[in-house]
Amino acid sequence: METRIIWISFLVLLGVIGGFYFLFPRISRSGLLFGVYVGEEVSKSEAARRITRSWYLGMALWLAAAVALALIMGLQYQSVPGSSAALFLLPLGFLEEYLRAYWRARKLARGRAAPLAAAVILTEEPKPLFLPYMAMGFGLVGGLYSIGYAWSHYAQLPDLVPIHFGLLGQPDSWRPRSFSTVMMLPTMCLVMGVGIAGMAYLIGQAKRAIRYGDQGVSFEAQQRFRRIMANFLAIVSLLLTGMLTILSQSSIEVGLRRAQALSPAMMMLTLILVIFALAGSIYIAVRYGQGGSRLEKSAADRPLTDGLADNRLWVLGMFYVNRDDPSLFVERRFGLGYTINFGNPKAVALLGGFIGLIILIAIIAKFAS
Amino acid sequence: MMVVIERSLDEPVYEQIARQIRECVASGELSPGTPLPTVRVLASDLGVNLNTVARAYWMLEEEGFIRIRDRSGARVAAPARKPAGDRERLRQELRETLARLRQAGFTSEDLHRLVEREIASLADGRDK
Repeated sequence: METRIIWISFLVLLGVIGGFYFLFPRISRSGLLFGVYVGEEVSKSEAARRITRSWYLGMALWLAAAVALALIMGLQYQSVPGSSAALFLLPLGFLEEYLRAYWRARKLARGRAAPLAAAVILTEEPKPLFLPYMAMGFGLVGGLYSIGYAWSHYAQLPDLVPIHFGLLGQPDSWRPRSFSTVMMLPTMCLVMGVGIAGMAYLIGQAKRAIRYGDQGVSFEAQQRFRRIMANFLAIVSLLLTGMLTILSQSSIEVGLRRAQALSPAMMMLTLILVIFALAGSIYIAVRYGQGGSRLEKSAADRPLTDGLADNRLWVLGMFYVNRDDPSLFVERRFGLGYTINFGNPKAVALLGGFIGLIILIAIIAKFAS
Repeated sequence: MMVVIERSLDEPVYEQIARQIRECVASGELSPGTPLPTVRVLASDLGVNLNTVARAYWMLEEEGFIRIRDRSGARVAAPARKPAGDRERLRQELRETLARLRQAGFTSEDLHRLVEREIASLADGRDK
């Protein structure tokens, strides 16, 4: 029963990820084509449409291959790892199709002059964002509470503690008690909660890319997109902190044999988190478009400015590298959301530190077991 | 207001930033007390070095167009009530500009019209 639920989840996830990939060309800002700034007119030309059509066809084949792999592995071999391989196949296909389209789009951008850089000076400062601060505070409190709770109950825990739970919250894997095994989840709660909230705050300050001579339309669209992305991530952080805090406490309770399974509140919060994250991303993509592209349609023929329009500052259309630019986060050229400025050592250290901490926790947990 | 940087120009980037802010202050588009973005925000939006924007702000402060306070950042300054101490220097700059315009073929009449038009546009901006 459980294997079947996991297998169905794989198929649903494949559909959602595939659906997202298919949305990307439709939500890109005008002038950008698969990570290349080709100009507003060229991006609507027949040559650009040919590249996009070929990308859709390629992605459809990759999605079909991934679904077929998941079905064969699931139906024929009842293999969960085999089915999960389909989840890796799809991003691989996406990368292959993206790079192919990218190289073709580059040919359309040849001979473009360096773009203008432009910024808007507001006569009134926009209201500061409240949710990212709240999420950071909540992440800190939730993480420290989880660590304190695990610490204070460590001595009472039996020799074997649960380290994995099934879909219904029943423990299905036990390991000998060790400090790192018990502390892994609360530490993860602190790192993830504060880390994602911190990203939400920084996205609220991200670089703005506007269009020249558009009477402020693209600026307004950018502001709204930036705020919605920052608030969305802050809510994800709030839900995640809540879920991991309850999970940490609940797993200690199960370890102490005070409970048979994880708290239903945790299961409910996990479901809410997954639905919110998926539905929220789809809503932002469809309603706002990347960088607010769907709100700036009336100005879509005006030229993009600055880093977003400067092909020399992008490696493969994915990595923004500008040593002069103090920005930490910049708008993605293809996809949804933001990426970091790889030319800024602070941004690289921030991302590297966050990923490094998560890997470190995972390694400690592995060695502890 | 929008600050636009053209890297293909001979004019340095800090001078382009300062010139555009100066023009907006003079025309009244940016009124006294209006906060300017922090050096970091403007540098980030323009994709230029922090020092470039800082240099433009220092220059504008020296010329009396903006005031820089550590806590509240930079704000547009009110025009000086009395003529500034460097009045003689400004008069000299005006003379040099007029001389260049004469050299470029402007007649005295053209110069009168030009100066009157510029003064009128500044007054219009301040009345907005």
